[in-house]
Amino acid sequence: MNWSDAASVQDVADGECIGVRVNGTPIVLVREGDKVHALHDLCTHGAARLSDGFVENGCIECPLHQGLFDLATGAPRSAPITEAVKTYPVRIVAGRIEIAL
Amino acid sequence: MSENFVIIGAGQAGAWVARTLRAEGFSGRIILIGAEPHDPYERPPLSKAVLKGDATLDSATLLSQADAQAASIECWLGVKVVAIDRAGRNIRTADGICLAYDKLFLTTGSRVRHLPGIAASHRIHTLRGHDDATRLRQALHGHLLVLGGGWIGLEVAATGRALGVNVTLVEASPRLCARSLPPVASNLLAQLHRENGVDLRLGQSVKSLAARENVIEAELADGSLLKADSALVAIGILPNVELAQACGLAVEDGILVDQSGRTSDPNIFAAGDVTRHPNTFAGGLVRLESWANAQNQAIIAARGAMGETAHYDEIPWFWSDQYGVNLQILGFPAAATRCHARGAPASGTGSWLALHEDGRPAGAIAVNAARDLRPLRRLFEANIAPDIAAWESGAATLKPPVPA
Repeated sequence: MNWSDAASVQDVADGECIGVRVNGTPIVLVREGDKVHALHDLCTHGAARLSDGFVENGCIECPLHQGLFDLATGAPRSAPITEAVKTYPVRIVAGRIEIAL
Repeated sequence: MSENFVIIGAGQAGAWVARTLRAEGFSGRIILIGAEPHDPYERPPLSKAVLKGDATLDSATLLSQADAQAASIECWLGVKVVAIDRAGRNIRTADGICLAYDKLFLTTGSRVRHLPGIAASHRIHTLRGHDDATRLRQALHGHLLVLGGGWIGLEVAATGRALGVNVTLVEASPRLCARSLPPVASNLLAQLHRENGVDLRLGQSVKSLAARENVIEAELADGSLLKADSALVAIGILPNVELAQACGLAVEDGILVDQSGRTSDPNIFAAGDVTRHPNTFAGGLVRLESWANAQNQAIIAARGAMGETAHYDEIPWFWSDQYGVNLQILGFPAAATRCHARGAPASGTGSWLALHEDGRPAGAIAVNAARDLRPLRRLFEANIAPDIAAWESGAATLKPPVPA
């Protein structure tokens, strides 16, 4: 796999998310304790950035229409979402978050 | 024996009833009947991206033919239902087909209100369905006259301006969206539209509207005469209750349903624009004309018909996009007597918390600040009045201090 640097672990507060660009691709990074998730930063329903949304109970909620995506799999967890959002493998190397696009 | 669940109305609510029934494991026959010829689709883009030409109907489709086939949902499109026989538990279509049901869903939505006494013309438009949007799009050039300063009128005005159309908007009330917004937010919208070049005529009713060969002519109550290439009449919608009324269901400005979407007939459910339903936050019955209501009430009604005891009782919420500004409205802020700002909503980023005289929350309006609504929703649900100082300061926690 080709790993790319995305951010420092400290950039993402626990239970929060940030939007970054990795090689031009918009990515939302979400931290849950020691675990970091990386998802495509675009809702599959509307054209909203998930990084403007909310993290709760293992899901990220789109700020526009309140649809939920599973953080681990990207799968739809509530209406109006019907299509999964792409997720990316994540690893942490010396305090840096790296993802494989 | 396999059951027949029939859904009349294939918009947002109808499609979500069908989807939910299958997702929750209903194994009988699902027949979704729609008067429009199109696959079920979402209406919000019709006044925005679809009208502007940035998106096609496909992008708004809720249930494609392939989705429907995969889920074994029969879509009868372009079909009108003319009668419901509750005793015989069947419905009849305009072409004479009789279809039996075990459970029936009425998701018949709304239709636009027309100006009385106006002769039909290809220059006079309304906007409800996709075909209306296609026709209106072709008319978006030169000068557009919009009658009605509600959400549809404003969104079409914004789209028109984005396409370089001259827009005059006439609203009978002295302010915009008076039914859903407090004055501070109406003023923001008026400012936004004026800044973007819309000629706003507030507090003006239309005395006459006539389509001539090449021009629309309108006379306002103050005697001023307006000429335009086309007109959009956007003065609200009416619930399609006629089928329900004709078969004797309880109807009162909307089909009356309980919190699980059940009508006065236990075998018939209803959801979306067409219903009047109990809402705790409102403290009474409401009829809501929103995307979220159509979707979420439909999901609960489908579960209710399958015997689950689910309750639909959400704090109303909707949004609008105009000139790149995203407004989100929670609750019933028009009922407020005072508004407290967080950030600078009047200048384009921030929110208003709207309170009743006695301090109870009426609602909130977020301007490019959807995140602000999240903590408020929780407090509203718990019936807790937010701490106003914390709200105004931008604090993350809005719970009032616990008295010692």
